[in-house]
Amino acid sequence: MLRPPNAVSQRAGRQPSSSRTDRAGAILTAVQSVSKWLFAPLGIAAATVGAVYWLDRDRDRDAWATLETACTGCHNDTDFAGELSFAGMTLDSIPGHPEIFESVVRKLRGHFMPPPGEPRPGQAEIDALISQLERSLDANAARTPGYVRARRLSRTEYGRAVKGLLGVDIDPAEYLPTEIEVDGFTNVASALSVSPTFIEQYVNVARTVAHLAVGEPVPKVAAAYFPPAPDNQRAYIDGFPPGTRGGIRIRHSFPADGEYRLTINELGVGLYPSALETEHTLVVLVDKEERFRRNIGGPEDLALSNRGGAPARAEIMARFADIPLEVKAGAREIIITFIERSRALSDDQIAAGSGRGDSSYAGAPRVPGINGGIDLLGPFESTGLSRTASRELLFVCEPEVPARERPCAEQIAARLVERAFRRPATEADLDRLMPFYEEGRLGPGGFDEGIELIVTAVLASPDFLYRTISPPVELDSTRFALDDYELASRLSFFLWSQGPDDELLGLAAAGELEQPAVLESQARRMLADARATVLVTDFALPWLNVDDLDAVQPDTQIFGDEFSEGLREDFADEIKLFVESILLEDENVRDLLTADHTFLNERLARHYGVDGVFGPQFRRVTVANAARHGLLGKGAVLLRTSYGDRTSPVLRGAWVLEKLIGTPPVPPPPGVETDLAQNPDQEPTTLRARLEAHRANPNCGACHGAIDPYGLALENFTVTGRWRDVDRDAGAAIDASAELPGGRAVDGPVSLAAALLESSDQFVQALTEKLMMYALGRELEHFDMPAVRAIVDAAAEQDYRFSGLVEGIVASEAFRMQAVADDVGE
Amino acid sequence: MYLTRKHLSRRTVLKGAGVSLGLPLLDAMIPAATALAQTAAAPKLRAGFFYLPHGAIMWNTPYGAEMDRWTPSGSGADFRLSPILEPLEPFKHQVTSFGHLENKAPQGSVHGLFPATWLSGVRPDQEATGAHMAPTIDQMIAARIGQDTVLPSLEVASETTIQSAACGSGGCYYSATLAFRDEKTPLPMEFNPRKVFTQLFGAGDTPEEREIIAGRTQSILDLINTRANELKGTLGAADRVVLDDYLESVRETERRVELASERDLSDIDLPDAPIGELSDFDEQVRLLFDLIALAYQADVTRVATYFMVGEATNRTYNHIGVPDAFHPLSHHANNLQRLEKLVLIQRYHVERFADFLGKLASIPDGDGSLLDHSMFLYGSNMSNSDRHNNYPLPMLLVGGGAGRLSGGRHIDLPERTTHSNLLLTVVNKAGFELQSLSDSTGEIAGV
Repeated sequence: MLRPPNAVSQRAGRQPSSSRTDRAGAILTAVQSVSKWLFAPLGIAAATVGAVYWLDRDRDRDAWATLETACTGCHNDTDFAGELSFAGMTLDSIPGHPEIFESVVRKLRGHFMPPPGEPRPGQAEIDALISQLERSLDANAARTPGYVRARRLSRTEYGRAVKGLLGVDIDPAEYLPTEIEVDGFTNVASALSVSPTFIEQYVNVARTVAHLAVGEPVPKVAAAYFPPAPDNQRAYIDGFPPGTRGGIRIRHSFPADGEYRLTINELGVGLYPSALETEHTLVVLVDKEERFRRNIGGPEDLALSNRGGAPARAEIMARFADIPLEVKAGAREIIITFIERSRALSDDQIAAGSGRGDSSYAGAPRVPGINGGIDLLGPFESTGLSRTASRELLFVCEPEVPARERPCAEQIAARLVERAFRRPATEADLDRLMPFYEEGRLGPGGFDEGIELIVTAVLASPDFLYRTISPPVELDSTRFALDDYELASRLSFFLWSQGPDDELLGLAAAGELEQPAVLESQARRMLADARATVLVTDFALPWLNVDDLDAVQPDTQIFGDEFSEGLREDFADEIKLFVESILLEDENVRDLLTADHTFLNERLARHYGVDGVFGPQFRRVTVANAARHGLLGKGAVLLRTSYGDRTSPVLRGAWVLEKLIGTPPVPPPPGVETDLAQNPDQEPTTLRARLEAHRANPNCGACHGAIDPYGLALENFTVTGRWRDVDRDAGAAIDASAELPGGRAVDGPVSLAAALLESSDQFVQALTEKLMMYALGRELEHFDMPAVRAIVDAAAEQDYRFSGLVEGIVASEAFRMQAVADDVGE
Repeated sequence: MYLTRKHLSRRTVLKGAGVSLGLPLLDAMIPAATALAQTAAAPKLRAGFFYLPHGAIMWNTPYGAEMDRWTPSGSGADFRLSPILEPLEPFKHQVTSFGHLENKAPQGSVHGLFPATWLSGVRPDQEATGAHMAPTIDQMIAARIGQDTVLPSLEVASETTIQSAACGSGGCYYSATLAFRDEKTPLPMEFNPRKVFTQLFGAGDTPEEREIIAGRTQSILDLINTRANELKGTLGAADRVVLDDYLESVRETERRVELASERDLSDIDLPDAPIGELSDFDEQVRLLFDLIALAYQADVTRVATYFMVGEATNRTYNHIGVPDAFHPLSHHANNLQRLEKLVLIQRYHVERFADFLGKLASIPDGDGSLLDHSMFLYGSNMSNSDRHNNYPLPMLLVGGGAGRLSGGRHIDLPERTTHSNLLLTVVNKAGFELQSLSDSTGEIAGV
């Protein structure tokens, strides 16, 4: 219930000081008379200006009065709530304290203040206060672009950069230390520390990458192990050849042409070899070409296994050991899978007894699957090196005669340096690198080994590893513009997570990139390029916290029927495709909240209750059911904001606040009861009932009143995102109605999305803030907020297209310039 | 995904890491009657820090002392271990337990500050840009006793320590690590056993290959050094600091490479490097304990820090009959079944720790065993996980401490004795002569 504003000031002992009001009034009167005198000689025009001015001034004064009535009851010198007092402040204090008032804006936008339960002014008055504060802050914005310190490549960027430079695919997590995340991002400069261990691992990975790029001139036999297939082995796996079932896909960089031997460790022929009951056919494909085919199972194998026990099973598995494969050097894809056959009779699961978890047979599929890992050994009898994609990129020349070797090595080095160091190569660079070549050339690998050492040295060099911004020699200001090469790097790491391509480097060399039109057209070109998809994986999914769906493990006792690992992968695929379809197809980013299309396969469609989608492939589908529209209807989001055994309106509410509204709640204070699990001897109740009891405690209600309503509106979705009308545990109908902070009533996800859309500039701003943080590689500060709001306003003119936000960020001073560090307290 | 030529199949490695071959793996590394065992010189202290999140079941549940499954009692012959600590029975003469310790540093955080403040006792400055706390005592000790070894200290974990439930909104600076090298440098905790192995013994398949690689690494480090210095010259003051940090790490790496090239591992039969993180949690935990033992034995490092499972982890313990995720379970709501399950988890980690102690006790080192020359801190920075509080902390000091630890007792301290007193005691046992550390009021007597 809303009370009139004066109800606030009537609270005993909390009236704003009347003397201060009087003083402010006196000053205003004085200003008024001066300005009357100023405007008087200008006649009519001046009178009009003056009228507008005074209208604004009245409006601003009203807004400030809202703050005084609503906030100073606690934020005064006596109570000093949150270590903040507005005592002695006036309208004119706003520009001088952006750090305070930006945070006030955020608290108000998130409806955290006044705390729910306390009297609050009407939403119209609060909105007027917010816009007045923002106007004042924007009009007086401090002109600093902020400072981004020298920073190394994150391990993700490292992986993408070596892929771009040398065509080598490595899993950086396998080689490099874990990065510290800030708001889900790993590219924040201040968090990218180094340690001796770090140096060792980066030198090691440089050696590995160089080796893979050059290939193995004198190959030695090496083994690689690939863990068991994560996919469900009973169904077709998306991307595999049609007509196959289950299997595993391996991507591997083969160091040389030659014979490799592949061993399949476990096909489900263990102690209870139900997989052998019927005959199946296993095939091995290299780059989609069939290389091996063998049957497993059927009466003979079954009899063998039944009579012969473990040795017989080993004999069966020996048929799938050391499978010889002739492979050419380079990155190849190997698929090991089964030919799909009729499922009649044989492929049903054995559901013993009660059907759930009681029997060790339960759920055991009667088909073989790639249940163990794959070993790959080789090369044997190497026949040399083919021209791989990596060599294509690296070897810009091949020496025909020994005399040509050194000039060619220099040519290779110069070309590599330009792309790896993101600037032209210098004589000094070559002088430093050629000794490495000379040393390697004396090894058994000759010329190639020399090149390999150059590559190692380049990748280990700080010029590759660090992105720096050098101040001009003559610095006469507190800020300066990035030079063209620095700008090229910033742009390409933003959009592609790797260094600039030739076109960008060319523009930088010509000194043209700093022209706003050129910069903008390059941003457009790069957004349209396939490499920009990393914006989804490196930016959007971490931003939405849906990049690690493994973090929630639904309880199989409760969700065994509606959840599987396959479904988890479907969630991940869907959210990626969905976000991609809006950001990269340059739609209005507000569609993230409401779009009626998504990407489904049969399993996911069934889960969502969508008819007419068949088969395992994902395809774009328009969904009629509005509850599934936008992010709020997506399994990935709903799962990620749940616990394994129950939904969490608190986590979901906090997610909405942080991601969609941009006003993250503060964590609970110490020593508070945060558990909502039920005691087994209590009567089961709905989460809503438990949360209501929780909010009744004013200590909890102060924040949870602003958090829970968003989550309660999503209670129709289970942990796994399936729709439900009844809470099975409590035996009660789901009530998804809630009054949002600010007073708007919602009931269920559709009306929640509609409510969010009404203040959707706030969503766009939340997205813009994170995108800008990601683009700059630093956390945003209060002085960035005017720029953020300006970008959002400008993007509104372009229907909030994603490219509009990107262009706004790229054109901003924060992106194109650097402050001198001391000016921002670094 | 390359392995050495002496590749083991996954099964063999799993076995090697697990129960059946746990000891043989170690034995294989032991140079029979090496110089190490024969040295008569003053014993070299090994220090270790073993952290378990989510506290322990102690006397501060509503059930009181009756439900205390952690706190031992008595001293000497009367020293009695609790159900959780019972696996330490064979070593109890080298176990000291502490009652009534409190750490105020993480108070007010849900999980976010617990790991990092365990060994610092200092509350981080969360307003600072980037990390800002204080060096942790493992790193202080490493700076003192770790400089003669290839790795001054080793930081490992059983699984990723980046757990978003623990991170909070300001980053994971204080939830993802136990170790701060200095006030602004959190150290990563490595959970890939393969990377730990390479850290300990270097890259390369054969001794000859390791030698060539080490030589080339040296030239590369020279290049990095030169270039980083040149680059520094072109930057502003604040950025020069960043490059200085980098250069410091490069110099430290050079020192290690040099030390590594001088050491003689020729009579140690090194096993093959592990493949990577093991999917079986139990085997992963055993393997990491084995690697730490190996590191002490080969004198590659003298200080280790082990984050035994991630703060706020959802890890389940099916292998001991606890299918629940650890973090949600730790919000036990005083439910007795949940409490008992937590006891099982807490006891499980003590069991693995006890295996590790057993190995060290069997390895001769100078005039005693490795365990005699070790000082290990084992415990949690939380008390009652349902309340996220920090009093009383479950905390043990284990090992002979090279003659500096008495052991075999429970020391019941005055109520709310600051945890910093224990940290101060530990650093001084390691050779410091500090008067105070954070909010300490003095060393703990009788340790």
